[in-house]
Amino acid sequence: MGSAPAEIRRIPARSLATSAASASFGASGLGSLGSPPPTLPVSPVSPVSPVSPALPVLPGLRDLLPRGVLACGSVLAVPEFGLLCLALAAGASAAGAWCGIAGVPEAGLLAAVGAGLDAERTLLVPDPGSAWPQVVASLLDGCELVLLRPPAAAPVLLRRRLEAVLRRSGGVLLVAGDWPGAQVRLRVITQRWTGLGDGHGRVRACCAEVTADGRGEAALTRTRWLWLPAEDGGVAVADPVDIPGTDAPLPRPAAGLRAVSAG
Amino acid sequence: MKARGADPAPPRIMVLCCPQLCGPDAGPRAARWFERVITTVTGFCPNVEVTEPGVCAFGARGPARYFGGEAVLAGQLITAVAELGVASRVGVADGMFAARLAARQAQPGSPALVIPAGETVRFLAAQPVTVLADQDLAGLLKRLGLGTLGDFAALPASDVASRFGAAGETAHRLARGLDARPLAVKRPASDLSVAREFDPPELLAEPVVFAAKALAEQLHEGLAARGLTCVRVQVRATWADGRENSRLWRHDGLLTAAGVADRVRWQLDGWRPDPGENDPGENDPGENDPGENEHADGGIAALRLAPDLLVRATGHQLALWGESVISDRVARAAMRVQAMLGHEAVLRPVPGGGRNVSEQVSHVPFGEKREPRLALGPPWPGRIMGAAPGVVYPLPREAEVTDEAGQLVTVSGRCVLSAAPARLVVEREPPRLVTGWAGPWPLSERWWDPAAARRRARFQLITDDGRAWLAVVRDGRWLIEAGYW
Repeated sequence: MGSAPAEIRRIPARSLATSAASASFGASGLGSLGSPPPTLPVSPVSPVSPVSPALPVLPGLRDLLPRGVLACGSVLAVPEFGLLCLALAAGASAAGAWCGIAGVPEAGLLAAVGAGLDAERTLLVPDPGSAWPQVVASLLDGCELVLLRPPAAAPVLLRRRLEAVLRRSGGVLLVAGDWPGAQVRLRVITQRWTGLGDGHGRVRACCAEVTADGRGEAALTRTRWLWLPAEDGGVAVADPVDIPGTDAPLPRPAAGLRAVSAG
Repeated sequence: MKARGADPAPPRIMVLCCPQLCGPDAGPRAARWFERVITTVTGFCPNVEVTEPGVCAFGARGPARYFGGEAVLAGQLITAVAELGVASRVGVADGMFAARLAARQAQPGSPALVIPAGETVRFLAAQPVTVLADQDLAGLLKRLGLGTLGDFAALPASDVASRFGAAGETAHRLARGLDARPLAVKRPASDLSVAREFDPPELLAEPVVFAAKALAEQLHEGLAARGLTCVRVQVRATWADGRENSRLWRHDGLLTAAGVADRVRWQLDGWRPDPGENDPGENDPGENDPGENEHADGGIAALRLAPDLLVRATGHQLALWGESVISDRVARAAMRVQAMLGHEAVLRPVPGGGRNVSEQVSHVPFGEKREPRLALGPPWPGRIMGAAPGVVYPLPREAEVTDEAGQLVTVSGRCVLSAAPARLVVEREPPRLVTGWAGPWPLSERWWDPAAARRRARFQLITDDGRAWLAVVRDGRWLIEAGYW
């Protein structure tokens, strides 16, 4: 990234200060983690209309993205499909956008609905097959946000063409896989699930460390601890006192265990 | 030509109904069988009209005179159709509505119900109001104390029109034994049919159905611009080898463009050369082998939709699927992908009930009614509580869970675990250390049905890489059904 100095100049000074303060977890000014992001000189994000320049995201995820929104015409990449992808789509869907999910037959839609996705405005194409670029282009015509897991790695020409279609249609492409050149890249570094003990309990919530970087406005790496999902199914910023410690393997009791009811 | 102010007596109509092949989701096999039935019926009367899947109708006066009576004709028809292996029922009455009711009420013992000329009004008067297609109106009439069509028919027509509107007026005419709407007397100046040619001829059915939807929209626009709707629509397909096939479908102004496209798809299924099956009773709606969609006879070269029997439009709109309006933009995008990949390739999720995570969201093809396969209302005891998994495998993955000593962990019939799980190996991935677990939660479903009985024990496991898993033990095998990450 040889043009790093030029890129940093473009970021407004206020957001630079806040992201530097909260970029490394453990800084003492932690009250800012729970507060809403600072107001930036950007057009207000209203419920989705074809002319809006950006799609909203869930409040818990705003800190990770440049300007706290999904910029229209941009590509976001997450290395592996999971709840983070669905949560990124949920914010826009709850605000009225149509979502298309292509190439993910195992999408856990109940979890997505818990995070805020509207099932009435979701289209699924579990198996787009070899014509997946055409399928994605058609979906972008109808849906504001498309979540895609490409069946195969896309060569650079194909990526450029899809990005051109994306800019023309003004949508957002979320790729669960590899997409060199994505504007924003998000990744879950650590996950700590709570609720299960040694032979009792049930999976309740997960505290996850999510990191975001990318190009341009997103060049600065931001890391946050989030409840992904929280106990109610939604996504929220994690209060540092609540973050569970690392789980060490527990001592094994004797064999001959009996069934206990679900917690 | 009818005299002003007097309604002509409706003609004698014979309706043939095949209960096995009825129903909108009877599948392509039923369509092929019904096509054979129609070919047989065409041998008796050339001008057959398909009212809905499994039901066809034609004017009875001419053929009855030729064959020596309506009962004789009905008997011969039933015998001829029975030779194909399909059970059928026949009803004859004045007018389509009464004939349909008669066909539905014919008993298997005497499968032809003939209502003599002039008795139709009395037959209709005895029917309950629930036979009306408009169930809202039927419910309202019952609450008003009008239990039979006879009671309803006794009301003055002008009062019915002012109280119940156009829908009530139509139902009132049906209850009195008249045709639903008087025919528009004037012939339209121009031909209102629409056609599309396919060059090169289309081998697959889906693009033709996609084009049919656009054609139907054009047709409806043309009719609406003149204030007309059609009673029937004729679907005519021309094949590349010159063969032509046409079928009349009941429309009544109640079909949307998607409804017409559905009927075209159904018709193309029926005209497909059949791979050879024996049993019409077998119903296979899930069949969607893409290879079967091809027409081995050169493909379809042209499709024509022509309106038949025009009537004045009353502005009666029927929301076929009764749900929120989908914008045209989304519908176009979805249908374009359906044209590429098939009807079942574009789905909409419908959250519903169920005990297993794979059942709790039903997938409904775009354009069909959004109903969950398992209802949401009942409590479904035995389902997994807590967080919902982000990844739900449609086909569970093989796994192995071993204890500290490396032995496979087993669950006895009394839900006793052999040892605490220590390691998880999913398919061919490297082994993971289990750092937390809960279970077994037994589930025994449909124990009364030996074929469908399922006994499983569910577990939740957390591994050292921070992921959580929903694992199931079935017949001693471990499977991963879902993942939380």
